[in-house]
Amino acid sequence: MAENTIRKFRWFWPWQDEQEEAWLRSMSQNGWHLLSVGLAGIYRFRAGEPYDYVYRLDYQIHKKKDEQDYLQLFSDAGWEYIGEMSAWQYFRKEVKEKETPEIFTDIESKVTKYKRVMAFLTFFVVIEAICVAIFAYNIWSNNPYSWWGIIRAISLLIPLAMGVLIYAVIRLVLRIRQLRRL
Amino acid sequence: MSQDDTSKYLPLTESTYYIMLTLVEPLHGYAVMQKVDAISKGTVKVGPGTLYGAFTLLEKEGLIVKVREEDRRKSYVLTPKGKKLLMNQIKRLEIMTRNGLSVKDHYD
Repeated sequence: MAENTIRKFRWFWPWQDEQEEAWLRSMSQNGWHLLSVGLAGIYRFRAGEPYDYVYRLDYQIHKKKDEQDYLQLFSDAGWEYIGEMSAWQYFRKEVKEKETPEIFTDIESKVTKYKRVMAFLTFFVVIEAICVAIFAYNIWSNNPYSWWGIIRAISLLIPLAMGVLIYAVIRLVLRIRQLRRL
Repeated sequence: MSQDDTSKYLPLTESTYYIMLTLVEPLHGYAVMQKVDAISKGTVKVGPGTLYGAFTLLEKEGLIVKVREEDRRKSYVLTPKGKKLLMNQIKRLEIMTRNGLSVKDHYD
């Protein structure tokens, strides 16, 4: 029997995780429950009764041996695990009491989550910086192998990606400041 | 051994303080969550994301150590360094409370 499922694409930046959580909750309130998450930005929902589920995201890069203990802890606390998308871990819980369920119960641990993302991005900023240096060198030295046009075109992507990464790190820093001001 | 080792961690956040308080004896994650809720009379709740982060950090700093793993649940307990830090924090809180109570008496 085929289940009624739909696929949606949406892009959320790391600092927009609360918006993503709110969107997933409103989908459930409308009868579409998150079934799985796939490659960056793809969500699969299954049709069902409208239900108030709260969705919460964690960011964890796991060693295989640590994953079971992590998932067991959330399961013991009543959170259902949906899946992983690029180290983002998706959990859901029914809203029963007046208090909205949370996986992070203080500001510092929320901040630490954003810092984990920043650490990951910073690693790529460093790699990008090295690539920029290499390609800059190639362009400004007299290179006899003139796949000139192709190299030039590709090398434009490198500083662009660098710009995006730096922008992301700045937005995360601002998000952390915003949290700490509350 | 100087106190300087542990004072860099002070003051502990409410959650971390309560987590360390429960780990005087070996406990696994969910048991810590329940115990913190009970002994704080419901004033402090620790979510799984917060708790897992605390376990990771405390273990990395040598303040707690894994003693057992059963049914995919790791149990932790304070190390001697962790106990020293906790005692330090409690002493500071005693002084804070004494000061607070004398101000409270003044206003009552």
